[in-house]
Amino acid sequence: MTMLGNKRLRSFLRTLTMTSVLALAAVMPAGSAFAQVAGGELVVAQGSNPPSLDAMATSSGASRNINMNVYEALYGFDEKIVPMPILAEGVAISDDGLTYVFTLRQGVKFHNGDVMTSADVKASLERYLKVGATPNLEPIETVEATGEYEVTLKMKRVTPTFLESFSNPRSPAVIIPEEDANAEAGKTSLVGTGPYKITEYVPDSHVTLEKFADYTQDTRYAGPDGFGGKKTAYFDKVTFRIMPEPGAQVAALEAGEVDLLDQIPVPAARRLQNDANIKLYENLEWAFGTLILNANDGPTANIKFREAVQVALNMEEIVGIASEGLFAPNGGWAYPGSPYDVGDIGAADYYNKHDTEKAKALLVEAGYNNEPFTIITDNTIPFHGRSAVVIAEQLKAVGINAVINQVDFPTVLNLRMQDTGWNAWTLTMGIEPYLGPAAIVSTLTGTRPHFVAKDDQLEALYTELISGATQEDRKATFAKIQKRLYEYFGVIKLGDTGQMQASRGNIEGFKTFRFPRVYDVWRAN
Amino acid sequence: MLFVVSLMTFVIMWLVPGDVSAEIGGTDATPEQIQQIREQLGIDKPLLERAVSWYGNLLRGDLGHSYLLNRSVVDAVLERLPVTLSLAGLALVLATIMGTLLGIVAAVRHNSWLDQGSMVAALVGLSIPDFWFGLVLIILFGVTLGWLPTGGFVPITEDFIGWVRYMTLPALTLAFTQMGVIARMTRSSMLDVLDQDFVRTARAKGMRRGTVIFKHALRNALVPIVTVVGVTAGVLLSGAVVIETVFSLPGVGRLIVGSIQRRDFPVIQGGLLVTASIFVFVNIVVDMLYGWLDPRVRDER
Repeated sequence: MTMLGNKRLRSFLRTLTMTSVLALAAVMPAGSAFAQVAGGELVVAQGSNPPSLDAMATSSGASRNINMNVYEALYGFDEKIVPMPILAEGVAISDDGLTYVFTLRQGVKFHNGDVMTSADVKASLERYLKVGATPNLEPIETVEATGEYEVTLKMKRVTPTFLESFSNPRSPAVIIPEEDANAEAGKTSLVGTGPYKITEYVPDSHVTLEKFADYTQDTRYAGPDGFGGKKTAYFDKVTFRIMPEPGAQVAALEAGEVDLLDQIPVPAARRLQNDANIKLYENLEWAFGTLILNANDGPTANIKFREAVQVALNMEEIVGIASEGLFAPNGGWAYPGSPYDVGDIGAADYYNKHDTEKAKALLVEAGYNNEPFTIITDNTIPFHGRSAVVIAEQLKAVGINAVINQVDFPTVLNLRMQDTGWNAWTLTMGIEPYLGPAAIVSTLTGTRPHFVAKDDQLEALYTELISGATQEDRKATFAKIQKRLYEYFGVIKLGDTGQMQASRGNIEGFKTFRFPRVYDVWRAN
Repeated sequence: MLFVVSLMTFVIMWLVPGDVSAEIGGTDATPEQIQQIREQLGIDKPLLERAVSWYGNLLRGDLGHSYLLNRSVVDAVLERLPVTLSLAGLALVLATIMGTLLGIVAAVRHNSWLDQGSMVAALVGLSIPDFWFGLVLIILFGVTLGWLPTGGFVPITEDFIGWVRYMTLPALTLAFTQMGVIARMTRSSMLDVLDQDFVRTARAKGMRRGTVIFKHALRNALVPIVTVVGVTAGVLLSGAVVIETVFSLPGVGRLIVGSIQRRDFPVIQGGLLVTASIFVFVNIVVDMLYGWLDPRVRDER
């Protein structure tokens, strides 16, 4: 029996010695990456898993970050958010607006070595109509291959904005091989035509991309432009690491284990701004912070009450705190200088007023009797929770009985689908403002507008917007829409929030965009 | 026991608002789209019906299919198990060794500065939040000194040295938080034993101090220590969630938490069942160890 005790002890000590030997072996530093223009590996870190690598079947940003380096569509947005041909040579639209004939670029190769033809395009678009995550292609009646490199779309009705929807990167209408035509959502062979191909996906760990040696460059352009252009892959390998903890991401960047952070917390960026080994990239036009009011239930059913909320708020304080300082106060529903920017129409009298007296007067007029004003919010996206806290405090100051109900994001999405039981909901709109007015207004109209009770005037204006024949027409309609939003007060614009990205100092060629473009990026010597 | 766990999971998931349709449909999904997704996945069916079919499949060894991960629940859990088991296992070994040694030192040098010092160290470990301690270790050893990687994972089968390099910091962080419990239990258990007559007799007949402590005293003090180690094993499994997040390890903890956030019910259900089974298994092992360590327990059976 005592022998056993001794044996245990010895094995204890043995393990101990082994551990210290291993610890010594472990402290040897990792080899550093080599420095040349072509070749090598780029390591990108992002916070969450891509829910799917089937590009057309997901609208997730985490997926888009990876997929847009792998797949391409016939058309996509250029840097100025205007549709440009990518896999298409061009398009001919019939005079009645009901037939679109796309000619395809010839000799474009898929990652599996096959050449892209009209059969692949037909299969992809028909699959999109079944599994596509957004109704972008809904106006299409039929898709026909009318030549080896020609595809003809027949439309259900005239849709002047079709080419914009068709270029929409939210869940892009990418071209995949014919063999994947009948694949269920998320079950394709992951083959695309882009400069990188997917070689491995380990959820919660990483996605590995490899340079596609036979990539067919689009020589019509000088360099990359938006989602298209002439793309050149310099890195042989690109790894997207999934790192949920922002502090660990920053540490990995500082240690040189990661080359590019898709998003760096603003306080960390400020700390690193004088670090020669780190480059920072700022994109102020990343998302709109909004507060959506339930026009169907409780005090917010009263338009005067909603107006009181609008005039009570101090937007600079809310967005400043919620975005940790990376923001622009903007009451307009388009980014300044973007194609649909109509200035501060409507906003001038109502945005960022923090007018306590007027708010109190409006509350009296609304007959407000201290009913609870319930804000639903989540902690999954920090901006949502932080903005809700500041909003609640400001509203309490004017005498509104604001209550915060903070849950997780799926619960919020479930609660907001209820017609009653909530009064306000904090939401950042990321891709919609980028896509333009139709994308924003479509969430505020239809069978289920964000603010629950629909506004007939807005419904009519939306129809006018999407049937506007030219961009000038649509812009004029959008000005009326923005004015109407400041009369109905169903949704309150808080401001524009930015995105901060960071890379190692030796990463060259990177520019901020809607997704991290890993082509035309290289490591300096 | 396992049945109760799975039944509880079922009921809790049923009570929690929201389902996976929100994740698939996104913020702009219409009520019709949501309903369509729910029908496709069968989550619009009544609770009882879903429960019966789940248990039916379980009896055939089928834990179902993940809504979001594009693989079966068994595969999803099994491919992650090595990560969590390496982390929790290594942390358990480290916590046990460090905790026991600290406890013995404290008991033998009772009321000396060594006693105070090791108990302070144990208490600090117990009180420090593990995610914070993890980040401090990352900044110290990963960034400032550059000795160890800041996060990630290499399977032990692929590269043993790599595995050790990647596991050292996470396992140390996790072990540090539990070391204190083991140290305190070892100390008090050892103090009890050291006071007893047979220890004095052994010392009196001139036996070496080390032999007395490790061969006679520790052996008799082991039963409570093993109990605590068993409990610690469970705590380490649950603490692994936080550590996996901080160190970007693709483990079972993150799988389950991610599935809860996205309402991937089959994975939550299956993942918890596997975790609970490990828990039960560890407890059985501890019970068996009692008998092996202490003849009195064995004889009573």
